[in-house]
Amino acid sequence: MVHILGVQLPDYQLARFALTAFYGVGHKTAHRLCARLQIHDRCKVRSLTPHQITELASFLASPSTAPPLLRVPLAGPSFKAAPPSVPAQDLRNAFLAACKKGGADPLKSLKIESEAKRVVKDNIAHQRMIGSYVGKRHAMHLPVRGQNTQTNARTARHLNKVDRWG
Amino acid sequence: MQPSLILRSGRSAWKGPYFVAFPNLREALESNAAIRTQARSCTILPNFVGIRFMVHNGKDYLPVTVTQDMVGHKLGEFAHTKKRFTYKMTKNK
Repeated sequence: MVHILGVQLPDYQLARFALTAFYGVGHKTAHRLCARLQIHDRCKVRSLTPHQITELASFLASPSTAPPLLRVPLAGPSFKAAPPSVPAQDLRNAFLAACKKGGADPLKSLKIESEAKRVVKDNIAHQRMIGSYVGKRHAMHLPVRGQNTQTNARTARHLNKVDRWG
Repeated sequence: MQPSLILRSGRSAWKGPYFVAFPNLREALESNAAIRTQARSCTILPNFVGIRFMVHNGKDYLPVTVTQDMVGHKLGEFAHTKKRFTYKMTKNK
């Protein structure tokens, strides 16, 4: 059993499925997290190294302030080596420029646990404040998107409220 | 308006938000007169802020005063179409 930020990850599970125990982390995000920390696909929680666990904990504690990913470009099949007349300094600069390329880090804006819950609460509070239909349905503990209410609607009755917890 | 709101709405981004052009928008803002409309699916644009609308709910026209926070929502979201069921004792029995 591994504890990270107050969440228990069961030993026998694959790491990329165990990570979904965090509120706000689904399969896709978990897969990305594993890729970032170089945890392979079939790795179980019990075989995570202590270093990987600390890395995971430090990343999940504050994804926005985590150090940026090191991107090292690989040579493609059409790569042609520069002629020897090109100075080494130029090659080095070109390599560093290529390292900086790449899209924005998708995990930078990751929100988990209480932060993710606060986003949900804020969205509902916004709807309630402006007096929209969605906010009204939340306040009435009823489904928001036109589902039937004569029977069923148990989940909405349970969860839909202005100060939603889950 | 958040740009992501348009992208998340399910409508093609190149079309932009759906809205109805109200010809009397400026006069309404000056005279504070309410605009009667049945265009419930019209997106609230930033230049609607402060205007009073009378939005049709299928039966009558309900007053909606547009505030800054409503930008990006639809007019119909603020004119509710359903009444909550309340049990009334029958009078003649």
